[in-house]
Amino acid sequence: MLAAENLTLARGGARILDGVSLRLAPGEVVGLLGANGAGKSTLLAVLANELEPDAGAVVLDGEPLSKVAHRRQARRRAVLPQKPGLSFDLDVREVVGMGAYPFPELSPAQVERLVDDALARADVAHLKWRRYPELSGGEQQRVQFARVLVQCAAGRADGEPRYLLLDEPTASLDPRHQTDLLRVAAALAHGDGAGVLVILHDMNLAARWCDRLLLLAQGRQVAAGAPAEVLRPAHLRQAYGIEAHVIAHPLQAGRLLVLTD
Amino acid sequence: MPWRDRERASKAARAPLALLALALALAAVMLAASASGAVEIPLRALPGLLWGAPAGSAAQGGADALWRNVLIDIRLPRVAFAAVAGAALAVSGAAMQALFRNPLAEPGLIGISAGGALGAVSAIVLTSGGFWVLAPAAFAGSLLATFCAYVLGRRVPGVAGLLLAGIAINAVAGSMIGLFTFIANDAQLRDLTFWSMGSLAGANWKLLAFLAPWVLAMSWWLMRQWRVMNALLLGEREAQHLGYALKRVRARLVLACALIVGPLVAATGGIGFVGLVVPHLVRMTLGANHRWLLPACVIGGALALTLADWLSRVAVVPAELPIGLVTSLVGGPFFLWLLARGRRRF
Amino acid sequence: MKTWMAIALGWAMAACAHAASPERVVTLGGSVTEIVYRLGQEKKLVGDDLSSLYPEAATKLPRVGYYRAVPVEGVLALKPDLVLASEQAGPPEALKRLGEVGVRVVTLSDQPSVESLMDRIHGVAEALDAQAEGERLAASVAQDLERAEALPATRARAVLLVNRTGTPQGAGAGTAANEVLRLAGLENALAGQQGYKPVSAEAMGALAPDIIVITQTSLQATGGMEALLRLPGIASTPAAARRRVVVMDDLLILGMGPRLPQALTELKQEAARAMAR
Repeated sequence: MLAAENLTLARGGARILDGVSLRLAPGEVVGLLGANGAGKSTLLAVLANELEPDAGAVVLDGEPLSKVAHRRQARRRAVLPQKPGLSFDLDVREVVGMGAYPFPELSPAQVERLVDDALARADVAHLKWRRYPELSGGEQQRVQFARVLVQCAAGRADGEPRYLLLDEPTASLDPRHQTDLLRVAAALAHGDGAGVLVILHDMNLAARWCDRLLLLAQGRQVAAGAPAEVLRPAHLRQAYGIEAHVIAHPLQAGRLLVLTD
Repeated sequence: MPWRDRERASKAARAPLALLALALALAAVMLAASASGAVEIPLRALPGLLWGAPAGSAAQGGADALWRNVLIDIRLPRVAFAAVAGAALAVSGAAMQALFRNPLAEPGLIGISAGGALGAVSAIVLTSGGFWVLAPAAFAGSLLATFCAYVLGRRVPGVAGLLLAGIAINAVAGSMIGLFTFIANDAQLRDLTFWSMGSLAGANWKLLAFLAPWVLAMSWWLMRQWRVMNALLLGEREAQHLGYALKRVRARLVLACALIVGPLVAATGGIGFVGLVVPHLVRMTLGANHRWLLPACVIGGALALTLADWLSRVAVVPAELPIGLVTSLVGGPFFLWLLARGRRRF
Repeated sequence: MKTWMAIALGWAMAACAHAASPERVVTLGGSVTEIVYRLGQEKKLVGDDLSSLYPEAATKLPRVGYYRAVPVEGVLALKPDLVLASEQAGPPEALKRLGEVGVRVVTLSDQPSVESLMDRIHGVAEALDAQAEGERLAASVAQDLERAEALPATRARAVLLVNRTGTPQGAGAGTAANEVLRLAGLENALAGQQGYKPVSAEAMGALAPDIIVITQTSLQATGGMEALLRLPGIASTPAAARRRVVVMDDLLILGMGPRLPQALTELKQEAARAMAR
């Protein structure tokens, strides 16, 4: 369990997070929603140990996060940033292979296998020998996704919980790859037992792929729980300032569809 | 697909092959540089000189003994020194470029060279002492300056702090050097000028016995940091997500560079551009993966400086060009050309 | 019998001494090179350094570089059997290495003083096995010095300016210039300063020198006579007001070599002429 209890974080006098709690358990996909500036990226940053909250606790598998060594954290939790890194002259294979860095005990053959597997899942296997700077933005994003897949899968013992934090991973992807990425993330959670947290702007993607949602507005929790509880017109109005209608999805059983004016 | 397998195999093998080629080139250049210099030693005499029985002094044995003295006491240590110094400068340049994520970075940025120069200048002006006063002073100066830059730099997060502090240290050292220049007399001024142009002439086996293992050990340590340097290419945040404690990494890299370059600045004066240009050349041909970049810089740097020293020894016989001059004359225009090409590849 | 042996011994020693006479000489330091030429031994020279600028023939020889950064292999390439080094030459390890390799290295006194000049003349003559010429040169220099000193001195306040870097510098104590001014009977107004320092406009005005002595190349570097007289500080001196400026050749006045008597004579005559204006 990767859990944050009652986080408060202020910067320059403004409260970016105000008493926010989040629990990420292995085997589920949690979606983090909210308007720009609501505090989503900040919450993710706290869970990723990039920021220290002014108040509140973050716990990773029973230990306070700040007490866990950097290397051990990296062996449990992978983070995919919003924007891919700047251009640098590495092969795709080398970039994806970096996901295994927290696991120096693995043999090159094992790493190669993990890389190939991740490349296939992220649908970038055909780019394996290409140079990273030559790729399009979407391709680079998928390559980074493959990297964190490697980090999630590497050296994993049976039943060992792994956590994956995705910060707007669908931003530069076309619709097909958006769905593919989230499908892989969901498979990672339900199939391999990882705990996946994903920040999304698209409420329908969230409705389709997430088991639970957390909706933030101005650093405070508006709603948390199953999509049916969170995706309500009143909540959406409070969080986004939009008028929305939520109906049962005509094609996907048990899922919701959000329509906006 | 067969063509893909071939492509895969060729790409994977490219880097190790390139390293081998570089190593062979280095051996060849070192041999050639040892065989040529101001004093003409015929090639056929070389094997005998290297492995023959030792004779007396030049007065007794004539040309043969003189050649042996020149080869073994003057030229061989000099060529070895050039290789060692070139390797150290290039690998620390690569490390600085990884740390600052900037292809224009080199150890001088954080004050190593300026501190070394200040130490040397104060030794020249205050004591007029010889090499054995100058060298420790320069080393102490470079360590002190780097330490100051590091401690001050921690006030601003990330490498920006280190960079700003390095700029400040360079400025302070520069003004203090100016002060010493003012109070220096004529002879000291000229000594200063020559020191700053760099020289490998101080090479002897005693110096090498300490410097070579030291440089090789530090280079070996730096080469083992290839993973974290690759991770830094992704950005400091991402490097942290991959499990690296940035503060510790930064401190260790800076310390390693100071320890590797400090004694070098002390022994050679200012030799510029090698730390900047060699990593670039390697990156342009082998890519940015530090697993290959670092060893290639070690070998490539040794190669580059041995060549430069060779040139400095034979271009204007019987005089010698200061080595810093040669590296600047070649490195300067190359650097301009790099800038003109634009930052297409890092 | 004993006389016979004495003569034989003498012959043998003379023969040995002649056998030891150096044939290939490298000089390090302009002050040493000039003396070699004055002793008439220049045929033995195979190389010198960058500071050996007088006579002009010395600039045509192979040059090993700067005398304070001597390359060992470069010197060895000239196959010398004797290296005459100014005491200022270096680095010391390089000279030591030359000795270890079997080349004879003789170090000569090189301070801005007349005693040092005499020592140097004798030292070079001895090393080159030209003692007779050495004695002659020393005697002639001493005689000319006496004659120069006998000339009337003006006892005026003077400063000597040098311009190598773009800004004019004044010569203080501990420089060859200071010694030359003193020997020429002039009072160095900058004697309180140590070494060469840039001229401070205010200080120059306060010091009020009667005569300004400047070297030829320094005058050119400053931009000519008019530019010099217009410099702040200089412009307000009595020297500038009466245009009492003495221009002399660089090497002549600052070299403190065998031409010192000539330099002193010229300086005294020029100073007297200037004060008469």
